[in-house]
Amino acid sequence: MSDRITLTLHTPLVRRLSAPAIAPDRLAGLSSQEISSLELWDGRTPIALGDVFAVSGERASVVELEGDCTQLDDVGTTMSAGSLEIKGSIGNALGARMRGGRIAVQGSAGHDLGMAMAGGSIVVGGSVGDRAGGAMPGASKGMTGGDVVVRGSAGREAGARMRRGTLYCGSVGENAGIGMIAGNIIVAGAIGSEVGVGNKRGSIVALYGVDVPPTYAYACTYRPPHLSLMLLSLRARFGIGVDDAHLHGLYKRYSGDLAEIGKGEILEWQMA
Amino acid sequence: MDIRGVQIDDTFAEAFGMRGARIIITAKNEKWARESANKLTGFATSVIACKCEAAIERVLAPGETPDGRPGISVLLFTMDSDSLPKRVIERIGQTVLTCPTTACFDGLPDSPDRIAIGKPLRTFGDGFQASKMVDGVRYWRLPVMEGEFLIHETFGKAKGVGGGNFLILAESADAALDSAEAAVDAMAGMPGVILPFPGGIVRSGSKVGAKKYKTMIASTNEAFAPTLRAITKTELPIGVNSVLEIVLDGLDFRSIAKAMQVGIDAACRTGVHSITAGNYGGKLGPYHFHLRKIMSGDVEDAPKQDAPT
Repeated sequence: MSDRITLTLHTPLVRRLSAPAIAPDRLAGLSSQEISSLELWDGRTPIALGDVFAVSGERASVVELEGDCTQLDDVGTTMSAGSLEIKGSIGNALGARMRGGRIAVQGSAGHDLGMAMAGGSIVVGGSVGDRAGGAMPGASKGMTGGDVVVRGSAGREAGARMRRGTLYCGSVGENAGIGMIAGNIIVAGAIGSEVGVGNKRGSIVALYGVDVPPTYAYACTYRPPHLSLMLLSLRARFGIGVDDAHLHGLYKRYSGDLAEIGKGEILEWQMA
Repeated sequence: MDIRGVQIDDTFAEAFGMRGARIIITAKNEKWARESANKLTGFATSVIACKCEAAIERVLAPGETPDGRPGISVLLFTMDSDSLPKRVIERIGQTVLTCPTTACFDGLPDSPDRIAIGKPLRTFGDGFQASKMVDGVRYWRLPVMEGEFLIHETFGKAKGVGGGNFLILAESADAALDSAEAAVDAMAGMPGVILPFPGGIVRSGSKVGAKKYKTMIASTNEAFAPTLRAITKTELPIGVNSVLEIVLDGLDFRSIAKAMQVGIDAACRTGVHSITAGNYGGKLGPYHFHLRKIMSGDVEDAPKQDAPT
């Protein structure tokens, strides 16, 4: 038994590989040899994990991934426990449908980060692609729980159709929160166009500024009491720098999407 | 035993089990948190007629509260589990919800016993309320004329102890009050304990029932009433002309015992003859606070025969 399992990429990836087997709860009970023989997928062709990664350690709930894994998809899919630490960057669908545990990425991640996740947390030091915290293709709900923190920028449709949970991003592309059912999207920087279109009950917090869609209506300027709780929680759990001005400042509240049931909101911070 | 010339009687305070909640009120500043807390804890001196006992536990710095604002911690106790949520709901609904800038949080988040407080209060929102989950805990946002009121959906419930007490027997009313005030000041802010009576002090200590009026739940404790010394079986030593009582409720035995230790020590001043305690021969409650043991530093839980089963 080791304190951690380290998977070090020894062969550069020239094609995309699907690696749902790489998840801490799946590796926790396995020996190094058993881990090496797990299957990764090149399309419909299985490849032994050991053909691509050097494995050190065994029977641990902490997994480290080292090397340029931008071509490696589906890591951490449906994971429910343990800790996954990715030292570089990673491919698409990291933590898709995960239910618990913790993923930390030092670099960036591809599309569909935390897609339809229900619990746990994902923290990305860099930027991510489209649909972070969003829904599976054709599904009615995006993420239904947990926390996603992207310190850099997120692409299009971040938090699309999300039902619950919190998505924090340095900035987001267009159509963030599209079809949002509930939950929270907090954006520290720039927000692309058409944010919150089709939002039912979700909260979108703009700490920097936002172009509010025409289907939202201004309600008031006030101090939302729940917001300080959420920001303090993000600060305490993920070390996110939160200014006192944001904690206790004034926000414009816009209700929307009025083309939907209109119980959602965009909260736009106001500089004193 | 005596402390600075004040005798500590060889007796015990007799206390009983209660159910309690800790309510954290935050506001824009301490002034408004205190306004709300004072109203919430108003008319809550004794379960005999107030249905609950409540008081401010302590002032909280912004760093100690969930939303980073100044706050006040309140403890509220009832005699049974069923009435606890009723009292908490009606008091928060009338005194915290109504107070400018406040928010209301559970002060016993680790308690597995939960009572629904924000959940029923949410209906004041008339369908416009919204919930938020933060760290796996549900809060309710109620739209109000000022803006929004925020409250935890559920609060923790604890098994508490009510009726810890000690009596200050003094040479004069002034000496008794000086001593009691010193005791209250010394106990102020001690965690897990409240003093529910006015200024923390009781002048009308009671006995259970009455001799003359059979419907009375409680009546004057004539054995400690100095004006009745000549016509009753008095408990007052010669030279004692006034008695004041300190009553304590708390979340556990140890919190009360530690507060009594600090309070009794501070009460031992010039003009005080002795310190004693109210008990009913062990018939009223299972928690016994032996004064001399407490003042000897033994503030741990009561021995088995003194603890509730």
